[in-house]
Amino acid sequence: MIRNTRMKRFSIVSAVVALGAMVVTALPAQAAEPGLTSSEIKLGISTPLTGTAALSYGKVPGAMKAYFDFINANGGVYGRKIKLVVRDDKYLPTLAATQTTNLVLKDGVFALVAALGTATHSKAYAAASLATKKVPDLFVNTGFSGFGNQTKYPTTFTVLPSYAMEAKIISKFVKDKFPGQAVALVAQDDEFGVDGVNGFAAGSLTLASKTLYPQSSMTDARAKALVTGLSAIPGKPVVILFGTTDVTALIFKAAESLNLVSKFTWIAGSVGGDANTLLALGVKTTTIDGAIAASFFPDAKDTTDEYVKEFSKINSKYNPGVSFDNIVLQGMNSAMLTVQALRAAGKNLTRAGLIKAIETKGSTFASAGLVPLNYSATSHIGYNGYWMGQLNAKGELKPYGGTLSVVTTDSTSGPITPSTYMRPSIPKNGIPTNS
Amino acid sequence: MKNMKITKGFSALLVTALVTTLAVVTPSAAHAETTCTKDVFTPSSGGSAVNFQVCTGTDFNGAKYEIRMPSKFNGMLFLYNHGIRGNHNMPKVPVIRPNGYVVDMSPEVAPGRTTNDQLLIAQELLKQGYAVAGTGVSAQGWSVPEAIQGNLQLISAAYEKFPKISKIVSWGDSLGGHISQALSEKADVIDAVANLHMAGSASSQYTYANDFLWMFKTFFDPTIKGNGYSSGTAGYMEYMGDITKVLTAFGTIQAAIEANPLAPTWPASSKVPDSLKAIPVRSAVLLIGLLAGVPVQSNTYDASSGPAGPLETSFGLAISPALGVFENAFTALALALIGNYDAEVRCGGTIFDNTDTDYAARLGDNGDVYAAGLTGKSATAGMLAYLNKLNPAAPRVKGNPDSINCIKNQQDNYTGKITIPTITISQTADQVTPGGFIQKFKDLYAENVAAGTAKPGMLLNIWNKPPDTYTKFDAAGKPVTPALPTTGTSHFMYSNKDLLIIAKMLATAGKTGKLPSIATAKSAFKKNPNIFIDPDYKPELMFADR
Repeated sequence: MIRNTRMKRFSIVSAVVALGAMVVTALPAQAAEPGLTSSEIKLGISTPLTGTAALSYGKVPGAMKAYFDFINANGGVYGRKIKLVVRDDKYLPTLAATQTTNLVLKDGVFALVAALGTATHSKAYAAASLATKKVPDLFVNTGFSGFGNQTKYPTTFTVLPSYAMEAKIISKFVKDKFPGQAVALVAQDDEFGVDGVNGFAAGSLTLASKTLYPQSSMTDARAKALVTGLSAIPGKPVVILFGTTDVTALIFKAAESLNLVSKFTWIAGSVGGDANTLLALGVKTTTIDGAIAASFFPDAKDTTDEYVKEFSKINSKYNPGVSFDNIVLQGMNSAMLTVQALRAAGKNLTRAGLIKAIETKGSTFASAGLVPLNYSATSHIGYNGYWMGQLNAKGELKPYGGTLSVVTTDSTSGPITPSTYMRPSIPKNGIPTNS
Repeated sequence: MKNMKITKGFSALLVTALVTTLAVVTPSAAHAETTCTKDVFTPSSGGSAVNFQVCTGTDFNGAKYEIRMPSKFNGMLFLYNHGIRGNHNMPKVPVIRPNGYVVDMSPEVAPGRTTNDQLLIAQELLKQGYAVAGTGVSAQGWSVPEAIQGNLQLISAAYEKFPKISKIVSWGDSLGGHISQALSEKADVIDAVANLHMAGSASSQYTYANDFLWMFKTFFDPTIKGNGYSSGTAGYMEYMGDITKVLTAFGTIQAAIEANPLAPTWPASSKVPDSLKAIPVRSAVLLIGLLAGVPVQSNTYDASSGPAGPLETSFGLAISPALGVFENAFTALALALIGNYDAEVRCGGTIFDNTDTDYAARLGDNGDVYAAGLTGKSATAGMLAYLNKLNPAAPRVKGNPDSINCIKNQQDNYTGKITIPTITISQTADQVTPGGFIQKFKDLYAENVAAGTAKPGMLLNIWNKPPDTYTKFDAAGKPVTPALPTTGTSHFMYSNKDLLIIAKMLATAGKTGKLPSIATAKSAFKKNPNIFIDPDYKPELMFADR
C-alpha cells in the first residue's frame, strides 16, 4: 500500500510538472506582460473628452483610434490588433490620476499613449506607479521640460518640443522681425507658463510687460482690463499669448470689443494658437488674419503635404464626420509613432523592449513633424524645434515672410540653429514597415 | 512592558506574573474576577439561535474588558482594539461635541460604523463559532502602552477562563489598528492581525495635525494658542478657548466660501498683509493642506467634479481640491487641539516643534499640479514667504525636548517586525490616517525583511478608494454632502460586508499561518469596485516620516 501510494503521488507530481511544461511551451514568451495577447495589444489614453480642454484636444483619441483601426485593417502590428482604451480626465489632475490608475489596474493596458497636460500627467504618473510598474508612457502631449527628467519619469516620452524651446525661438523671431517694438507677455502662472518665462529669459527677450494669470481664472472682464492696460504701451506692441486656446480666444474677443485688435502684433504660442479652435470659440476671422503662431507640424490645411494628404484619407474612412484639423493631425501622428515603436520593439514585445526601441530607433521614425525627433537613451524629449507662421483669414498657417524657416534648439542655453532635417517620406500607403 | 512576550504555554504563569508586577505598580487597582452571564440571540443573517456567554472583568489597571464566548466555540478568539477616544471630559461644544463628552472607558468587542453594526459583526462571528473580546483600556487618548497592557491582561484572563482558546487573531481600527500591530509584534500568542485604517506613529500623527494647526492659526487667527497650555484649570480654559477660536475662524471661512467660492475672503481675525488677503482664502486653505499632507478628496468633494454650467471645469480644477482639504481639515484641527492638550498633560510640555521646518520645500510637484487652485505660482510664493521661519509675524513653535521624547519613545510604536500574517485596509483619501502612514509601515516592514528580522510575504495591503467622481450638486449648483460617508474618504468604518470579508481572511490566516494570495483577496472583494490591491501603490510618506 505504501509503495502504491508513493507511486501515485509521484505520478501526480510528474503529470503536474509535465502539464506545466506544456503550458509554458505553448505560451508566447511575453505572456506575462499586461495588456498583451497573441492577437491584441491594449493601449490606454487618459485625456479630456469633456470640459473646456476637450474643445481643442477631444479629437486626439478619435484620431488615434482611426489610425489604429486603419493599421488593424491592414494586418495590425505583427499580427496583433491594437485596442485603444479611452478614459475621460477632463484635464483635471485628480481625475487624470484616477483614470490613469484605472487604465493600468482595471483595464490592464500594456502602455499608455498621448496623455495630455503637465499638471494632469505628473500627478497621474506618480499615482498610477508607472515608474515602478515600468509602464511605457508614450508621446505625452506636453512641452513641460520637467518630463525630460529620466530619473523621475523613466518610462515617459514626450512628443511636443518643450515650452522653453518654443519661447527661445519666439524670442529670436521677435528680436529679428520686430526690432524696437515693445513686447508684452501674457502667460499662465504655472509650470507651463514658467517654463515659457524661463525660455524667454534664456532668449534674452526684453519684456515691457509681463502678466501671469492662474489657469482657469481668465474672464471676459479680466481680459478686457488686461487688453486695456496693454493698449497704454506706445507704438504697436508685440503681445505674446503663452496660454491655452480658450484664454487666447478671450483676449482676442476682448480686443475685438475694444476695437484694439490692430493696436497689437499678436503672437500665439503653439498651445493656444489653433485657428480652428479659436474660430469655434467665436473669434472673428479678421482677428486671426495676420496673427503669428509657432508650429512644428505642417498646417493641416496644406493638402500638398504628403502626411496631411494620407492622414486626411484615413480620417475620412475611419473617423467619419470629424473634420481634419491640426488636432487630428497630431493624434494620427502620435498613433503612427506608436505603431513604429511597437514594430521596432519586435515580435517578442515587452514593456522594456518598447522603451528600448524608442531610445535606440525613435529618432529615425517617420513623422509629420518638420523638425527632428530627439529620442535617444539620454533624451526622451520628442521634437526639438519650430517654424514661425502667420494665420490667414481661413485659419491657414503660412510661413512668415513666405519662406519656411525651421529652427531647432534645446531647453536651456543652447543656440538656435536653422534645421537641416530632411523629413522621411511617409511610409507607403501610411503603413509603417520598420523593424 | 515593551519587551514582554506572552506565549501560549506560559499564559497561566503570565497571569501570576502580571498580578505580582502590576499589583506593586498600581496597588489601588484590584483585580476582579471574570464573571459571565448566559445570553442568546437569533442571527439577523438567518440560522438558529446562538447561545453564548458574556464575560466581563476589570484588569489590574482598572481597564474593563469583555469576552463573548459562543457555546459552540471553534477555538479562535477575535481580539478587537477600539480607536482613539477623548481623555478629558468636555462640555457641550457645537460641531465638535454637541452633546458634551464624558470619558468613555467601556470595552468594544468588534468594529462597526454604529453600535448596532458592532453588535451585528460580533453576532455574525459568534454564529460562526468565534469568540470576540476587547478591552476598554485604562486610559484614553494616545495610550498605546496602556492599551497593550490591557490586551495582555485580557488575553491572560481569557486563557484562564477559556482554556480551549487555541488561536487568537487581533484587529483594530485607527489607533486601535496601531495597538493591534504593536501587540502582535510583542505577544507571540497572536496568530494573525488585521488593521483597519491604521494610525501611524504618535510623533508623525501629532506632527501632521500640528503642522496644519500652526499654519491655520498663522494665516487665520494668530491668537490661537495651540500648544504650550498652562497646567491645571488655566490650561483647560486655554484649550477650550482655542476650540472656540478655531471654530469661529473655521465657520467664518466656511461662510465666505459658501457666499463666493470663486473669491472667498479671509476672516477678520487674520493678520496677514492685504497683499495676501487679495488671494482667495480657499487657496490658502489648499496650500496649508498640501503642506501638512491633508488629502484633497473628502466626503463631499472629489477634486474633479463641478456643477453643470460655466464653472464645471474650473470648479473641479481650482475650487474642489481646496474645499476637499477644508472639509477634511476640520478633523485634523480637532485631532490637533484635543490631542495636543491630552499629550501635554501626559508628557508635561509642548510636544511639537517646527522651528526648523521648511514648509516651502514640502510643496514639490503639488505646486504645479494644484497651481490653479493655489491661484498661480506668484500667489503661492507670497503665501509661502509668509510661512517662512524668518517672518517675525509667523513665530514657530518651540517644543519641549523631554515632552517630544515622551511621545516619541514611550508609545510602543509598531516596528514592522512582522512574523505573522498581517493585513491592512485603508482609505486612499483618509484625512485622519492618510495613506502615507501605511507606506511608512510598508517601508519599515521591507527594512526588517531585508535585515532578516521579519518574515517575507507576511503583509497584505488592501486599499479602499473613492469612486472616480462623486460630488453631487443641487439644482442651484451647490455641492451636496452625502447622507452616508463616501467610500474611500472620511476615516469612516468599512461596511459590515467588507468587515466580514476581512474577518474571514483574518481567521483563515490565523489558522493556516499564511496570507491569502493577492488573487484570492481580489476575488473576495470582486463585488466592491472601490477596493484594490496593488503592491506597487505607493502613497507619499507623511512629512514627519520622510
